[in-house]
Formats: sequence, structure tokens, C-alpha cells
Amino acid sequence: MAINLKSSIVENREQRLGTIIRWEGSAAQLVQDSAFTYGGQVDCGCTGKRLCEENSPFTQASMCAECITATQAILVQGAALIQHSPIGCASSQAFTCRYYRDLSVQRGWKVEDPHSLCTNLTEDDMVFGGVAKLERTIRDAWTRHHPKVIFIATSCATGIIGDDVDSVAQRLEKELGVKVIPLFCEGFRAKHWSTGWDVIEHGILRQLVNKNPGKKQEDLINVIHLGGPDVFTPLLSQLGLRINLVMGGNDLDKLSALSEASATVTMCSVLSYLAAGLEREYGVPEVKATLPYGIQATDEWLREIARITHREDRVEAVIASEHAKLEAPLKKVRKALAGKKGFVAAGAAFAHGLMADLRELGVEVDGAYSFHHDPTYDSNDPRMDMLAYVVNKYGDIPNYTVSNDQQFQAYAALQRSKPDFTLSRHGGNMALLTARLGIPTVPIFYSNDGLGYQGLLTIGNSVLRVLPRKTFLDDIAAHSSFPYKQWWLDQTDPYALTKLMEREVDADPVCQ
Amino acid sequence: MSKITTKKIAIYGKGGIGKSTTTSNISAALVEAGYKVMQFGCDPKSDSTNTLRNGEYIPSVLELMRENRRVDAHQAIFRGFGGVYCVEAGGPQPGVGCAGRGIISAVQLLKQQGIFEELELDYVIFDVLGDVVCGGFAVPIREGIADHVFTVSSADFMAIYAANNLFRGILSYSNSGGALLGGVIANSINTPFHREILDDFVHRTKTQIMEYIPRSLTVTQAELQGKTTIEAAPQSAQAAIYRRLATRIAAHTESTIPSPLSSSELRIWSSGWAAQLIESERALLSKEAETVEAAYGN
Repeated sequence: MAINLKSSIVENREQRLGTIIRWEGSAAQLVQDSAFTYGGQVDCGCTGKRLCEENSPFTQASMCAECITATQAILVQGAALIQHSPIGCASSQAFTCRYYRDLSVQRGWKVEDPHSLCTNLTEDDMVFGGVAKLERTIRDAWTRHHPKVIFIATSCATGIIGDDVDSVAQRLEKELGVKVIPLFCEGFRAKHWSTGWDVIEHGILRQLVNKNPGKKQEDLINVIHLGGPDVFTPLLSQLGLRINLVMGGNDLDKLSALSEASATVTMCSVLSYLAAGLEREYGVPEVKATLPYGIQATDEWLREIARITHREDRVEAVIASEHAKLEAPLKKVRKALAGKKGFVAAGAAFAHGLMADLRELGVEVDGAYSFHHDPTYDSNDPRMDMLAYVVNKYGDIPNYTVSNDQQFQAYAALQRSKPDFTLSRHGGNMALLTARLGIPTVPIFYSNDGLGYQGLLTIGNSVLRVLPRKTFLDDIAAHSSFPYKQWWLDQTDPYALTKLMEREVDADPVCQ
Repeated sequence: MSKITTKKIAIYGKGGIGKSTTTSNISAALVEAGYKVMQFGCDPKSDSTNTLRNGEYIPSVLELMRENRRVDAHQAIFRGFGGVYCVEAGGPQPGVGCAGRGIISAVQLLKQQGIFEELELDYVIFDVLGDVVCGGFAVPIREGIADHVFTVSSADFMAIYAANNLFRGILSYSNSGGALLGGVIANSINTPFHREILDDFVHRTKTQIMEYIPRSLTVTQAELQGKTTIEAAPQSAQAAIYRRLATRIAAHTESTIPSPLSSSELRIWSSGWAAQLIESERALLSKEAETVEAAYGN
């Protein structure tokens, strides 16, 4: 019962998937432990052990599920978002405003500020309940913006006092004649921010997807991605497929059409709740294949899409022509990158994809840093285990760190790996850190860069562009200092502090 | 998918009024009559279902959530008398955390995992601690959790205040699809005067009495054995009363929106009855005094 659309509240990732945020060891071990604990994934043999999560005595930075949910909601075109929260939660709106405007330019939408409101809950509302204020704010959102959909993002505060957001939403949806969608994204409900994706995808599945799809659109394929330009049409149009690109900025028509497509493919398996839900609730099959990072994985991914959409007759020709196009430029990039060592810092499945790209480009990767780890996905299908694929095809990554973006741990991991460059998502933290360590970095915001055959070139060329900055960054490093004691500056184990703590107090890892 | 429509009932009332005793006896009577029943205790003390399980405590949903990374809701379900399903929401220790949030989390877990449908239950009975003090304690009367609410009350004014507060909660959720009021279960009713007070209260608040339950030693004896009256003294008059109550609840279909008294109305109403109460007690006392005088003479 992992996906239950009767409940407006999504079951969180820890509960559904066993998600962890702290782990240290080799990638091969993580794959084995995950499979041993949750099955469904690759065959682990009998040598696995329970997946255990490290403890940590210290947190330097983090993120919140509410922020992910609110951001994704506001990126729906024509939407108004109400953050039912104290005003502090709305501080994220400075970021989402920039994101929305930037995306508007890219997608050719009208460039404007997103329609974001906050109920600005205060002490009185905590004591007497915030529902009346929420109702007023929904009416304000309607009068001011006449949105096509109104999202309500709940907060820790409203979760604790138990505000009945569902009832207000249902009542005003009827009265105003516009979808009013409650999103239960209280930060305390999950330890990792990626739960925010599940929350918005749950809301989409319940209220925005066309519930009576009628005739399927045979040539339409849903592509769920983190955000960024459409790199899929050039490839998949060769199979005669049209792309329904969702998440990271959609419009309501696209979300409604999700149930009419012939298949769904997710570009970062962290987001695969929506695909699993579409398969279960609307019979739209999910493409269960490795993510298209690297040549072989992209081949297999295309073949699986062709199989599900009945286009097997065309796919080999597409693959052959893409290989031919790629051959010469890839040779050049591989040659230029020969002997280099890279380091990847990104969220779970996305990190696994980038590792595959670098290995495919002939770059050494002995260290990686993932913001969380999902031991399985909602489909529970072993073909979607990208980390297992990377380890099996390209060999182990001996130093694989799972950390919810704790900069002091990233520091130690980088000291251990000493890479020539890094690829990083959520570039704010990592790019600053790597710069101060004198390491060139490619910060990735729009995350479709490394996908497919051409993605190898995009990533390879991005790396080649930043490598010459080494001298400049060495200068920055020479003038930088860190707020750590000498003891930490000497560490190369991101969990050294945990190990020290385990000796001193009872803080064993938590086993699943 | 379940073909059976589960009837979901929430029973509220002031602490110590006999809610769990009454609820457990209703559950026991319903399983005895052949229904599939779940009793869901919503009280941090986690003792709602004890008398259905020979006085045994069961691990609560929140305990399981605290100890385990992932909780399979089935682990929180235990069988008791006649096969009744017993669940305790649990909650924090007194004075810490948030018991209201605890109820939200526990009910959500079972709801998300589709337990109520999966077990094909005829009845789910939520036994909810005390008053509707905050949003968390209102969860069972919100949409989709319970269909009918009953309140256990004695003729004690504090118990009636709590019932009146519950009616306010029901009223405020009533126009958004929340549960409606089935009626009042009058508990510890040993004199006609007790009966009159509650009759007047339900008349004014436009609801009904489901049953008058007398205070009885049989109940105490059964509880001391860790059992319901239905189990320990099936032939007793008290058991027959609980069975009649269960039958009425089973047959009950139409709940209504109550008309709670405002704070000032309640004050005036209770002081009116208090005056009568004092009058009758005084009469009783002076009668006793006369008897004493007559006995000793002078």
C-alpha cells in the first residue's frame, strides 16, 4: 500500500523506501546492503548485511521538504501557492522567484513574478487555529490572481496544531470552481528534503491528472525530470514519440495528459513516485530501465522505451545513427580528459548517473558524495538500480559517502579524493567549497545536461571548460581558510566525528 | 478492495467517566454478535483495549514508530476477546511532546496503509481521550475517519461540559463533511434525578440518549479480572444493558448536528440544576435530621 491516493497525505520516503541520509563505505557494499535489506533490487547473494545508517553529532546545513514542494508547486504555470506557515517558511520565495523568472524565459512563458502568498501565522494562530486565516488567504489568492490552480503547502506549525486543511480546500474548491490542492509537506515528517517531490507528485496524481483518460495517445511519452531544457525530443522523436515533459515547470494541460500517455520515463529515479502512481492508478506503464547515462545504458533505455511503446523495428537504426554521430567527438573529449580524476556530489540517482558519465568518458572516480540514498524505489524493480549498474559495469567506487549536504563532511571527502574537478548539484554549497579548496567545479542546476549520448559531450565539454581555471582557483585557495580545528582539517574520513563519538557515547548506527 | 462498508464510530468523553469500559463492552458485544470489529484507543495511556485482552497492554503505534525505521501497521494490530482487533495509538509521556500530533500520526499510518479496508471490518471504534482540546484530538471527527460520534457522560456537570465542548467541535466540522453526533451514552445513572439532568441536556442540545447505564459492582469486578463485563459476567443484567446499547449503535444510521450551549447558557443551565440539587439534598438532610431527632427524642 505504498501509494494510497485515498489519503491526502503521502507516506514518507523512509517508510516507503527505507531512505537514509548518512552512510560511508564502498558503493558496492551499499548496493549489497540495500539489496539485502529491501530485496527487489539486484541479487545480492548471501553476503549482504542489514543496511545501517550512521549517526552524526553535528549538522552544518540542510534543506526542507516544504521548500521542494513549494518550489515545484509555484513552477506550475498559472498556479498560486499559499504557504500556510509562519512567515519564515516564505524566505524560500526569493529563490523560487528567480527560478520561475529564469524558467519563464527558457520556456517562452510570460516573464513575471510567481503568485506566492503566505498566511503569516503568529502566536495567536497557533493557539486558536489558523484555518480561518487560510480561508481568507485562499480568497485573496483568487481575487488577486484568478489562478488556474491553488496549492496549499502546510508547515511544521500547522501539522502540530492539526489544522484541518483538507476541509477548507475541499469547500473552497467547490465554491470557487478551481482546483485547490493541499500539500502536506511538514518538514518534520521526513528527514530528507526529497520527500517534497513525493508530496507534490501525490497532489498531482490525486487532483490534476485526468481521471478519465479515455483513448490513450499512442505516441505520447511522459518524461519526468528535475528541470531544465528538453534534451529528449531530439532523441525520442526519432522513434516517432512526442514528449510530455513534466516537473520542474509544467502547465496544467501537460499534467492532465499524464494519464493519456503510452509510457512514463523518469530521468532521476528519486522522482519516480509519480511514474509508479501513473502505472498503478491509470495503467500507464513505467519504463523500468537504467537511467540513460553512458552509451550502453542509453542503448538499453531506448530499447526498453521502444519495447513498451511498440517501436522495436525502429530503435536499432536510431541507436546506430547516434553511435556514429557520437564516435568522433567522444574520442576527442576522452583524449582531452585522459588521466583526470573527477568527484561527484549530487542527490542519489542523479549522482549515480553523473558517475556513469565520467567513467564512460574515461575519467577516474574514486569518491562520490550523495545527498541521500534510496535502497529501493516505488516500483521495487532491480533494473532501476543505477548504482548497482555503475558498480557492475565500471567497477566499484571505494569511497562513497551519503550525507545530507553537510559541508564539513564534503570537505573531508574532497581531501581524501583530491580530484582534478567536481560535478555538483545544489552548486551553492559545493561550488564555494571546491573553489576554496582550489578545485575546479561544474555546478549543475538544470539537471538534464548529462543525459543520453549527447550528454556525454555536454558534461565532458563542461569539464574541459572549467579545468583551465585551476591557477585562478589555486589563488583563491591560498587566500581561504576554514572554520575547523586542525584536527578536522587533517581528517579524510567524512564520518571521523561519528566514529569518535561512538567511542565516547552510545551512538551506534541505526540498522533497518 | 473491501466490499463491506465499515461503520466508523468515535466515542468521546471526559477522562475517568468510563469511556474505555463502555467502548470495550460495546466492542465485545459486537464481536459476540458476529461482527468484525476494531477498537482503536486514542489515549497516550494506551489502556483502552486492556479489558479485551485480559488486562494486557499492547505495543502502541507510536511506540513502534519510535523504535522502528519503517512500520508495517499490521505489527500494531492485536487480537482480543472474540477476535476483536485491538490498536492503541499511544503517545508521549505526560508533560512532554504533543499527544494531539500523536493521534494524527497514528491514525494516518493505518489510513495510508489501507488497514481499515484490508481487514474488511464492520466496525472501527475510536476511543478518544477526554475532550476535543486541540486539532489532534479532533482528527477522528474530521472527514473520512469516523461517521458517527457518541459521547459518554455522567450527570456530573464537568462531564456535561466536556460533552458540550465535543458538540462544539462537531458543529464546527459539520459543514465540511465531518462526523455527526449519534447521541449520549449516559453512564453511572443510579437515580431518577441523574436521568432528569441528562434528559434535559440532550433535549436542549437536540440529541438523544443511547442508553442509561447504571453504576454496577459487576463492572468493577470484571475490570479487576482484566475483562469486560460481557466476557466476565455474560449473564448479568449489566451485560444485557451493554448488549442493548451495542444493538442500538449497530442499528443507528442517522446522526445529526447538535446545538451546543454557549458558555453563558451552560452556566445558567447548570446553576439552575445546581439550585434544585441543593434543594433536594437539603430536603434529604433535614429529613435525616428529623429522623435522628425522632430516634433520640427529648
